[in-house]
Order: sequence, then C-alpha cells, then structure tokens
Amino acid sequence: MSLTTAHSVVVPSQTSKRIAGTIVILYALISIVPLLWIFATSVKTPPDSIAYPPKIMFQPSVEGYCNLFTTRTRQTPEYIESLPPAANFCDEVARKRNMVIAGPSNFVPRFVNSLVIAFGSTFCAVFLGTLAAYGFSRFKVPLADDLLFFILSTRMMPPIAVAIPIYLMYRELGLSDSALGMILLYTAVNVSLAVWLLKGFIDEIPREYEEAAMIDGYTRLQAFWKVVLPQATTGIAATAIFCLIFAWNEYAFAALLTSGQAQTAPPFIPQIIGEGGQDWPAVAAGTTIFLVPILVFTILLRKQLLRGITFGAVRK
Amino acid sequence: MTGWPKILRRGPMEALAVILIGLGFFMLFQPFVLQLYSMSFITLLVGTLMFIIVSKFPE
Amino acid sequence: MAARATPARLAKPVTGLSDRMVAWLFIGPTMLLLLALNIFPLFWAIALSFTNYRANRPNEPVDNVGIRNYERILTDPDIWISMQTTANFVFWTIALQTLIGFSLAYFIDRKFRGHAFWTTIILVPMMLSPAVVGNFWRFLYEPQIGLFAYAVSFVSGIPPTEIAMLSNVTLAPWSIIIVDTWMWTPYVMLICLAGLRSIPDYIYEAAEVDRASPWRQFWSITLPMALPFIMLAVLFRGIENFKMFDMVNLLTGGGPGSTTEVASITLKREAFEKWRTGYSSAFAIILFVAVFGLANIYVKALNRVKQR
Repeated sequence: MSLTTAHSVVVPSQTSKRIAGTIVILYALISIVPLLWIFATSVKTPPDSIAYPPKIMFQPSVEGYCNLFTTRTRQTPEYIESLPPAANFCDEVARKRNMVIAGPSNFVPRFVNSLVIAFGSTFCAVFLGTLAAYGFSRFKVPLADDLLFFILSTRMMPPIAVAIPIYLMYRELGLSDSALGMILLYTAVNVSLAVWLLKGFIDEIPREYEEAAMIDGYTRLQAFWKVVLPQATTGIAATAIFCLIFAWNEYAFAALLTSGQAQTAPPFIPQIIGEGGQDWPAVAAGTTIFLVPILVFTILLRKQLLRGITFGAVRK
Repeated sequence: MTGWPKILRRGPMEALAVILIGLGFFMLFQPFVLQLYSMSFITLLVGTLMFIIVSKFPE
Repeated sequence: MAARATPARLAKPVTGLSDRMVAWLFIGPTMLLLLALNIFPLFWAIALSFTNYRANRPNEPVDNVGIRNYERILTDPDIWISMQTTANFVFWTIALQTLIGFSLAYFIDRKFRGHAFWTTIILVPMMLSPAVVGNFWRFLYEPQIGLFAYAVSFVSGIPPTEIAMLSNVTLAPWSIIIVDTWMWTPYVMLICLAGLRSIPDYIYEAAEVDRASPWRQFWSITLPMALPFIMLAVLFRGIENFKMFDMVNLLTGGGPGSTTEVASITLKREAFEKWRTGYSSAFAIILFVAVFGLANIYVKALNRVKQR
C-alpha cells in the first residue's frame, strides 16, 4: 500500500479518534452510574440511603447486608436492655434501631434455589444441546432447516403466553412451585440457544478429525466423545455461561409459576421490605450479591458475546 | 425448476408474505381505525402461514 | 492407539450404531423436550382459546364458545389501547437504541486508545437481569431521594418533587423507555459494530481514490453495508420489546392507571389475576402469531448476515 492510505478514513485521524473516545467514555461513565449506585446504596445505612440530596460521601456500613440476611422485630428499649450483650455486629446494629434479630431471612434459600435451578437447567440444556448440535452439524437430517427454525422459534415465544398452559400442565403433574419443574422449563428455553450456538462451534471443527479417527477403528460415538468434544470445550463453556446467565436472570416464569418453595432470587429481591416501605440498602445488598457473578461472567465472555446474542450467526 | 410460474418463485412470494406481516403489525399498532385492528390478527396469520409455505417453493 | 498400528482394522467396517441411528439418538431428546414443553402446551392453549375455561374453577363445566374469545379481544377498545401502548414503547425504544447504538459503534470503530476496555464497560448492563436491575431503578426514580430525579433537577432546575417519573401519567411511559434504552443500547451497539467491522477496507480505499467525501462515504458505503446488521438488531429488539414483561411489571406494574399497560401486562392480569383462562389463551395465541411472524423474518435476516 502507498503512504496515502495511512491518512485515509481507514486509519482515522488523531482528532477524530479523540472526539470519538471522549463521547464513548462519557457514555460508558453515565451508563455505569446506576450500577455504582446499587453498590453504594448497599453499604449505606437506611437513613443515609434516603437522604436528600443523595449522599455521595457517607460512612460505609454493612447494615444493608445484615438486614438482607435476617428478619427483625421491634422491641421495647427495656426488653433490649434486659438482653445479654450483642453476640455479633448485626445484633448490635439491630439493637441501635430498637430491634431484635428474629431469625434468618428467606434470602439464602431463594439464592440457593436460583443456584440449583440455574446450574441444573444449564447442565441439561448444554448436554442435550451438544448432542443435537452435533447431530445437525454432521448428519443429513431430513428437514434440518425447519427443525432448526422450530427450535429457535420456541425461544421467541412470549413467556406469559407459554406460562398459561404450563401452569395448567404443572398443576396436573404436581410440578407447580417445584425446582424440577423450573429446571425442565428453563432447559426447554435454553436448549434452543445451546443448539444454535454449539452448531456454530461444531461446524468449525474440521470433519477430517473424526473421519481419521473412524478409519482408525473408532465408532461414531467414540469419535464424538474422544475427538469432537475435546475440540469443542471452549464453545461448550461459552454456551454454558450464556445458558447460566439466562436462567439466573429469568423473572417472568419464576414470578408466575413459583411462589414459595421453588422461588428464585429475581422475584424475591423486589419483595424485600422493611418498616414503612422498601428497605433499599437491603434490596441493594441482595442486588449486588445477585449481580456480581454475572459481572465476572460478562468479562470472561466478552469475546464471545456477539456470538451469543446472535445465536451464533455473527462470529466476528 | 422449469414449468414453475415465475410469479410463484420464492423471492417475490416471500416478499409478499413479509409485507403482509408488516401490514399486520401496522394494523395491530395503529391508533386510528378499530376495524383495522380487528382485521390485524387474520392478516398476521395469513402472512405467517404464507411465509412458512412459500419458503418451500423453488428459488 | 493400538488401532493405528494394525492396518487390518482399516478394511474392517466400523462396528457400532449406524449414522442414521446416531443422528436420531442425538437430536431426539431435544425434540422430545421441546414437544413436551412447547408444542403440547401450545396446542393446549389453542384448544383452551375456544372455551370459557377458568383455571381457578377447574370443576365448573367448560363450554365451547367458538371464536367468540377472539372476536371480543379484537373488538375490545381497551386491548386496542394496550396494543398502542406497546407500539409506543416498541417504537421509541427501537428508535433510541438504534440511533445511540449505531453512533456508539461508529465511534468505537474509530479505534481510539482503550476502546476495548470501554466497550466492555458499556456492555455490562445488557447482561444483567432486567427484573432485578429494573427494580432498583424504582429507587433511582424516587422523586425526593432518587439519584435520577436529583440529577435531572440539578441540570434543568425543575424541583425534584415534580420529576415523579413513575407516578406521572406523561412521564411513566418514558421511565420504562429510559431503562430499556439504558439496558439494551449495548446490544444494538455490539451488532452494529460487527456490521461496521465486516466492511472491507478496500472499499473505503477505492472511495478515497474516487475522492468521495466522508459524508458520501458514510451514506453510500458505511450505512448500506451495515444495514443487514442493523436490521438484525432492530428485529430482535422488536420481538423482545413486543413481549416485554419483567421490566414493566416491576417498574410501574402497568400504572399509573393503565398508561403503561403493555400487552404482556394485560395478558398477565387476564390470565393470572382475573383467571379468564380461555379468553387469555386466545390473547396469548394472537401475541404468539405476531411474534412468530417476526421470528420468521428474523431468521431470514440471520441467514443473510451469516453469509457475510
């Protein structure tokens, strides 16, 4: 290439780079403020959290986290006086507000539900998805395009529309408000993403590898297990994380089909209330704990994000 | 594929189906005439079914 | 790898399942699951949509009402209005997200120093739970104590008590549009960025030789070449926002009054609060057909982009 191309639009000028950079950084900073505010609120005391004007500088406190994990009852000062000295920090904070810790809150069981349902459904979806993706990638399946479209279209269905018959079906089968029911449902939603994403990844593995292995005497299944799977690990891991994030974040099905036993964190967190309305530091604490795993995964996944959100169609 | 009329090829028919779906959405969403809203579902249904059927037609 | 050493094995046909068997063994379970949890319920919903069944009274006799449910939904002015609310929401979110998302992608494509880091920062809101984060926005929107109202009044001088985003009839739809735009602009940006990066440099070089102005280059190269990608993003956001439920349910719950009652919220009220199961099934089928139509076009767009 001649020198002139160095000054063409292909390589943007310094000034245009600087302007572009400023605008993008400004947007990034503004868009990250709500997330920083969630974290800041989670380490505020309830009075600080509702101060006007909103406090940017404040004395950090773990009261929000204490309130998230416990339920408290109001008691008379005399009663509190009569108690033995506070056993831990949360006890102390509660007593300052004339409260006594009555027991653990529902947050931990709901969080555990979220973990069980998210990991359970991810495992099933990736397992089924890997098999189906390999099937579609390597064999001549009759009506393959239609089946693939059908698989994808199941993901596009409006959740409320699906929830009505699923609600009736689960009531008949005794699966209402059960972790198993939610795992099955999330597997069905996620398997579509898993098939499409993994098909893209498996398509990229040259067929010659398996063919060579099969000439060496491997059966098809052995070739799949010993040759294709190890090659597809990155793709499977990325797919698993996408499925995990979906199941972790899902709200509509969880809110409509679970109420107690199998309720996950997303419908639970908005229900955290204190005296006289929403206990925002506790909500923020729950939100923070809920979001941190996703933040980590997003950073791990950043190179695969594009693939994930376009069902594997756009690769770079 | 000879003998298949040109107008029934996949391209133009698919375009027609897409137009029908778009029209159905416009009818569903427009705030002007209630009758158009009433007819939106049937338009969407016809457009969608047509799209599925003509995707089997030869190019 | 003993097999490699014995050439005799080469000639021997591979034992085990035939390819056709393996194919069905691999695809079958997924299909069965989807049949059980998507297709069967779908047909059940279609069947219910022709009845007056009520899920909270399973023992009452169920009458076949023909297409009366569909007729009632499609002539009901209230549901028509909820469709317009949905349309308003879909239109503004897509317009804003496309405009901001494409601009951001265009600027990021200038490849300034540190662009990869800032792109990752911008992408974060997209991956979070719309419900959990949407719920927290209620706090940001509080007129007295919320950060949003404070920031707006700081900039505009309007007293913060007047910026009641969630309870004011004119502002409530915008409160949802703002959160949705904040959350999903990164999605549009990421796809647009892929579109911009798929344009080969030599086209710009040729345009440079022809002395096309940057303005011309943008309108005759950048935009048309990135258009399939923009369409892909718009279609997917269109589908997602058409069925939007979680964020609206947590931010306003359809209120104040029914100013933010989008189709999914109406459907939820009919199905899970008034328990008119037959009627709401018909409504669900109508929404489903609309989404299915868009999904068909989306997959076509997906295949077009794939060929690039």
